[in-house]
Amino acid sequence: MGGLAIYPGLAGCDGDMTLNATDATTVLGEIQPGGETPGDIVRGAEEMAGARPSRKVLLGFVPISVLLVGFFLAPLMVMVLYSLWTMEGFNVVPHWTLVNYVRFFTAGMYTAILLKTAAISLLVTILALLFGYPFAYFLVRYVNKKWQILLLVLVIIPFWTSYLLRVYAWMGILGRKGVINQFLMVIGLVRQPLEFLLYNNFSVTLVFLYLYLPFAIITLYASLEKFDFNQINAAMDLGATPWRAFVEIMLPQTKQGVITAFLFIFIPMLGEYITPKLVGGTDGTMMANLIVNLFRGFQFPAGSAVALSIAVLITLILIVFRRYLRVEELY
Amino acid sequence: MSGKKISRREFMRLTAGAGLGLVGASTLAAGCGGPATSAPPPTSAPPPTSAAPVTKGSFNWMTWSDHYFPDQLAEAASQYGIKVTPTLFSDNSEAFLKVQQVGGKQVDLVSGDALWVSKYYQEGLIEGFDLDTLATAKNLFDVVKQFDFWQADGKYLAFPFGYSPVLVAYNPKYVTSAPDSWAALWEPKYKGKIAMELQPFDVMAMMGKSLGIKDAYNMTPDQIKQAQQQLITLKPNILKFVEQNTELVTLMTDESIWFATVNVGMEDRVKDAGGPEVRTFVPKEGVVGWMDGEMLVKGAANRGPAWGWLDKMETPEWIAKNFLEYGRPLFNKAAYDLLVKQGYEDRAKRYLFDRPEIVLSMTLKGPSANMDLYINAFNEALAK
Repeated sequence: MGGLAIYPGLAGCDGDMTLNATDATTVLGEIQPGGETPGDIVRGAEEMAGARPSRKVLLGFVPISVLLVGFFLAPLMVMVLYSLWTMEGFNVVPHWTLVNYVRFFTAGMYTAILLKTAAISLLVTILALLFGYPFAYFLVRYVNKKWQILLLVLVIIPFWTSYLLRVYAWMGILGRKGVINQFLMVIGLVRQPLEFLLYNNFSVTLVFLYLYLPFAIITLYASLEKFDFNQINAAMDLGATPWRAFVEIMLPQTKQGVITAFLFIFIPMLGEYITPKLVGGTDGTMMANLIVNLFRGFQFPAGSAVALSIAVLITLILIVFRRYLRVEELY
Repeated sequence: MSGKKISRREFMRLTAGAGLGLVGASTLAAGCGGPATSAPPPTSAPPPTSAAPVTKGSFNWMTWSDHYFPDQLAEAASQYGIKVTPTLFSDNSEAFLKVQQVGGKQVDLVSGDALWVSKYYQEGLIEGFDLDTLATAKNLFDVVKQFDFWQADGKYLAFPFGYSPVLVAYNPKYVTSAPDSWAALWEPKYKGKIAMELQPFDVMAMMGKSLGIKDAYNMTPDQIKQAQQQLITLKPNILKFVEQNTELVTLMTDESIWFATVNVGMEDRVKDAGGPEVRTFVPKEGVVGWMDGEMLVKGAANRGPAWGWLDKMETPEWIAKNFLEYGRPLFNKAAYDLLVKQGYEDRAKRYLFDRPEIVLSMTLKGPSANMDLYINAFNEALAK
């Protein structure tokens, strides 16, 4: 497979902007050990891509197909059916109706909470990007490789403990007798514990930021690591301000990482349930909390309709941003 | 690349066929025998018996956290070879829903409240038994063995455990004039100082009670609207809805809240946790209340060990300890007598341990006929 030798050169085009036309001609025009030209190899690859895969190869896809159909598609279909049926007492009965969807779109409470959920998710996502980008930038540009790994491990260490424990820990930090209030009282800065720290939208936002910041950092790190910082120097040599160099050179080239981080944070947050329940108070209610109440109250059709409507919304977001979802290129 | 080749189109057709088959099967399950669409199918388990033979082994128990102690589980395992796997739930509707989904294959014993018990039976989810065949049943108060709403077809439907009116607790340090009405909770000066358990039906019922509605679990649509309006007005004063009542103890202990709807015994639980003095009152408009018991799930796969737990471990000693730990009264007369002997008579009487008949005068917890209206009203109030 000597033909693979062309790839390092092509990779250089992607990451090394100093590659000139002569270099490219040399690389692409090189005769490979097997006597094949790069053109032959490309054509061969195209033929392979167009070939009919063997039964053996296709069999390899059976487990994942069964998994997806059995554990994703089939339950989803059940949800779809439930959303179109009605409830009689404690049982779902197959009386077809759209009333569950009509109620979702006409009852102001769902749209109000959905907008609030989206607003909190958006705020947290933007904050995570604002905190995560400088951190990843600092890490990639100014920290040597050995320390980078250590710092990245520190970033992901919280994932080694349970999500629930981490949220409970914040209750211990922000509570009336929590670390912050105790400290402020000991140093005499306040006489009474600060009430606004817990059980409101502030605490929900803060805890979400803590929970999702690592996703932003890791994704942005992967994107920034491929960036050639000489371009910044070159831009500044040519008179660009640091801000202009960032906006016109670095941000466009790391845009994919930013959007991927956005999706990695924003989408799961739309379905968050535990955090608002534990640290949110009555003001911190989010969409998933209402859905859980519906299921608890045996309103399976209504709960299914609301949950599916959210799923459709997420799908629409993914469709809009689909061209940025080339995760394999990111890493 | 040897082997018979198939085209991608053929592959897609194959997998789509398999997929549609599975989806079809699931659809069929949803429509014809899915867990939430009908009563559980009949099982091959023996019909309701007077008693299941006590056997060693494991069983699954869906319950509340205050129905057992870890030490008690350890003793059951070491002395009787009964290994208990408890699963916690927050309210009756959640437990009912889960038992409806999985039945006796995954749950052997389930705890439930008052009128929910008969609902379980009507839906074919539990089976009755002869109470007197349990050795520990002789320890119960006599009145407890005669609750007609817990009997059907000549059988008892649940092994009685505990009871309590849902009272209102307050911190006298901040609530200086002793309240006697639900109205106290609506005073603007108590903004963000109230917590309640996240039990939508019960919260709505309490709102109904505050309006003087008698049958608070079966309110009419108009009454539900009024109750919803009550909740919306009260919402600024509610700090949060908690999942377990242990969190109420925490919140009262650190004085995050000054009011809470609680079971009997909160005063001592807060005190034991190092918190301030807490008092309770029964609102003059009336209260809801609960009484709970353990039910044998129909077709329970491990009924022997489950029965063994009730027969061997619901002893006066453990029940008395449970009372001292959690405060609310229990239906066990022998445990009451033991507490009296141990010098806890005053506490036991203060917390109504000697008055199990009080449950007959409470508005008991139960499922409503208008569940959708209750839940929608609760959700709407939350969203306001």
